[in-house]
This record gives sequence, C-alpha cells and structure tokens, in this order.
Amino acid sequence: MNKQPEELTLKKYFQNIWNGIKTTVKGMSITLRYVYSEKSVSIEYPEVREVLPEGTRSRLFNDTQNCISCDQCAVACPVDCIYIASKPRPKDAEKIKTSNGTPIRRELTQYTIDTSLCCYCGLCTTVCPTESLTHTSDHEYASYTIDQMKYDYLDPEVVAWRDRIVK
Amino acid sequence: MDSTENETKVNGKDQEKVKSELLTINMGPQHPATHGVLRVEIKTDSEIVSEAIPHIGYLHRCFEKHCENIDYRGNLPFCDRMDYLAAMNMELGYCLAVEKMIGTEVPRRAEYIRVMVSELQRVASHLLFFGTYAIDLGAFTPFLYAFQERETILRLFEELSGARLLYNYVWIGGVWNDIKDEQLLRIKKFCDKMDGELEKYWTLVGHNKIFVERTANVGIMDTEMCYNYGATGPILRGSGVEWDLRKKRPYSIYEELDFEIPVGEGEKGTVGDCWDRFSVRMQEMKESLKIIRQCLDGIEEGPIMGKVSKVLKLPKGEIYMRTECPRGELGYHIVSDGGKVPYRVKAKSSCFTHTSMLPEVAPGQLIADFVATIGSVDIVLGEVDR
Repeated sequence: MNKQPEELTLKKYFQNIWNGIKTTVKGMSITLRYVYSEKSVSIEYPEVREVLPEGTRSRLFNDTQNCISCDQCAVACPVDCIYIASKPRPKDAEKIKTSNGTPIRRELTQYTIDTSLCCYCGLCTTVCPTESLTHTSDHEYASYTIDQMKYDYLDPEVVAWRDRIVK
Repeated sequence: MDSTENETKVNGKDQEKVKSELLTINMGPQHPATHGVLRVEIKTDSEIVSEAIPHIGYLHRCFEKHCENIDYRGNLPFCDRMDYLAAMNMELGYCLAVEKMIGTEVPRRAEYIRVMVSELQRVASHLLFFGTYAIDLGAFTPFLYAFQERETILRLFEELSGARLLYNYVWIGGVWNDIKDEQLLRIKKFCDKMDGELEKYWTLVGHNKIFVERTANVGIMDTEMCYNYGATGPILRGSGVEWDLRKKRPYSIYEELDFEIPVGEGEKGTVGDCWDRFSVRMQEMKESLKIIRQCLDGIEEGPIMGKVSKVLKLPKGEIYMRTECPRGELGYHIVSDGGKVPYRVKAKSSCFTHTSMLPEVAPGQLIADFVATIGSVDIVLGEVDR
C-alpha cells in the first residue's frame, strides 16, 4: 500500500538529519518555555479540592419534607432507579404544606434511589414541581458493597445529610 | 483454514524461501493504542502485517433497544453515551430529528448556543485526538498541553449543564440552561488563546520531522476506497473530497455562517495518508473557532426553549436526520407509530464505517505504522458498538 520512497541522495540524507534536528529543537524550545514560564495547572486532589460549579449534577438528595409524592421523577427516570411509594393521608389529619406552599396530600412511605443505577442525567430534578429533589455537589461517596449505594431518604441518618450536603 | 491460504500465498511469492507460518497477535481489547476496547487480530509475517481483523462489540449497550422502551426525552442520555467524547453533537442530531418531526420552531438564541457548544465540543474532541495521536507515536508532552486547553471547555460545559462528559444539555425544543455574558466572554478569551496554541501544536508535532516520517505516506486511504466504504468526516476530507454536511446540507444556522472546508492536499506525502487526516483535523479546529467567533457576535437575546408539549408524542411516520459530528456523519432514523415511545431508533455511526476500512489498509504495513493508522482514523468504540 505504501508508496515507493524517492531515491535517496547524499544531499537529501544530510538534509533529512538536519531537518530532524531543527524541528525537534524548535519543539523542545516550546517545552522548555513551559518548564520555566508557565504556571502549573494540576490540582493535587486529596489535599487541594476544587470547588465544583453551582448546579453540578452529582449525588441526588430528596428533601422528604417538601416531597408531595407526585411520582413524576420516577416516571421521567430513564433507568428506573427511583423507588417511590405513598399512601393517602387520613382526612382528619392536620393540613401541611411544602416550603413553597403546595399542600401535601399523600404520605411518603418509601423513597429510595439506587445510585449504582443512576446515570446522573438530571431529568428527574427538572420535573420536580416543589424542587425537593435536587442534585448536590457531593461526589465522594464510594462504598464497599452495591447495597450501600441504595439510599433511603426517609432514614433519619440520611435525612441528617441535609445540613451537610445541601446548602 | 486461514493459515494454509496465507501459507500458499507466502510460498507462491517466493518459492526459494523457507516455509514459514504467520504469527497471530491479539492487539487489544486492553491495549493503549486501540483507543478503547477494540480488539484487532493481526496476522504478521515478522514485522509486516498481512491481515488485520477488527473484533468489535465489547462496548455494546443496546442503544437501539433501550430507545424503544423509553420516551423521547428519556432517550437523550443514551445518545450522549454513544460518542462520549462528542456528546453535544450526538444530542444535537437526535434533537434535530425529533424537532423536524413535530415541527417545533427553535428560538434563535437557542440555535446560536447549540452551534456554539457543538463547535466547542468539536474543538475538545479534536484536541483529544491530537493528544492521543501524539502518544501513539511516542510523544507524551503534547497530550498534556492539549488536555490543558480541553479542560477550559469541559469546565465551561460543567457550568452550563452540570456534567463534564455526558451533558444532556441540548434538549428537544432548545437548550437546558441559558448562557451567561460572563461565560461568553470566557469563550471569546479561549478562542483568542487557542489561535496561538494551534500554532504551537503545529511546531511541536505537525511539522516535526520525526512525526512527518511516521505519518506521511502511511495508511493511505484514497478517494476511491473512501467512496467504496462510505467514509465520511475527516477521513473523506483527508482524501481530498470537499464534503461537509454543515456546508453542503446545512442544518440549524450553519447556512448563515462563513467558514471553509479544509481538505487534505498531500502536502508531506500522498493524498489521504495519516498526515493529511491529522492536518485536516487541526485545520478544522481553526474553522470551528471562526464559527464560534461569528456566533459570539451574532447571539441574540430571547428565550431558549421553544414550545414543546409536556407529554411528547410524535406523529406517525419516520425521519432520517444526519449531522456532521467530529468523527463523521451521524444519522438518526426514527420511526414513530404515534405513541409516547419511538417504534424504532436506528443510529448510523461513522466510526463503524471507518473501522471496517482497517482490514483494507493494513496488509503490507509495519505493525508500528498500523498503530499510526488506527490512531489517525480516530474511532470511539462507544459509537462503533452503540
């Protein structure tokens, strides 16, 4: 497939070597400039942490006090990783509202997200009418077993994250 | 079966030679030079490749079957994951197809943002090609310089959409978030910086004698071969064919923009060799910057989302939409039966076509040259397998 190389004369032979040296030195001068005059851009991760921009799509957090159990997030999810269950509130119960004034008519009995399935596409947060389900910027949550990746947002331990990861 | 055939061929060529057998080598699936999980079965006669068979399918994720079960909006994240290095362009193609079917008017501001992000993505993708290609040929430093610039783009996308790689930013009917003036300024600054950087890359790699020796006259894909296999994108342009969908079949607002189609001219060797493909990509980056600058000048105030009903239902029928992605043409064929989910979504990937060209180029090459050829084709296995 390759073309036959042109005939090599003595002049061309030395010219090739000269070209090789010339272009390499030119390239090396750029590298040298980087060594002495350019600032380093690497971030040494565990010691120095970069502040992630606002709206980073990382771990999901559902503030269950504001959730009206409308199921829209579970419908929008393309990988079906949100498990939600609810039952109607008794009629004589005290009327409660979310922080933006939407009345809560159903009682949430289960709200679990399997983060090992989640693809972080953000479709669930955009359909949430009360903005209780949000992406947080918390991204360091590796765990040892796959079961630990399931987060039950009614669990008091998980609810306590609210102060830690939601601002 | 194979070995005997080859054996006779070898013997047929040179009868006096000692009878020898071909050596089979597996290159990949975990080989740094194959850019992902491509396995190439190579039959070699000492250093010379006599046959190369690519084996694909290691990254198959049932894109088409997934699409048949999920609504039109939910399919967008899966489109991202096809060519994960050019997710914006993948989304754009899908959104354009769906919009054409429902006849939605996309606001002007959204069109400008779309073109801008897809061109930025093209620059990011070609930067990655530049870096990894240099690594393939034994130069490590250019990779770091390229990633430094790529980081600027990724950071901007992170602020726009919230993710660094799989954005889900281009939506049916518009885009997700509005772009801020401060971000536009940053893009402008990036464009100005990038011009100087590109010159640097040319000096550092493109015109380097060692690089030229490794790439010129290597892996020649001539025009006829490109036509026969249906190659598109930089491969076709590298072979001297002036074909760019952005110019020839304009979509979005590309009609109003002024840019050129870089073509391979065989400056250092033959038309259609590895150096030409490299050169085309480098020049394309410059053209992309030109487009971005025009978008920055022309961007208008206004809404970013068109009118799209909340429950999206497409009319009965089918559509084929193709767009120019960094690696070639991407086509979406959507068949709808009038329901909430598509009846069938077929994606035509350019990388698959380009992979099929490898066996034709390989025979007669040195193994090291074959590595250079794979690198210059620039395939992303996510798109090959889908």
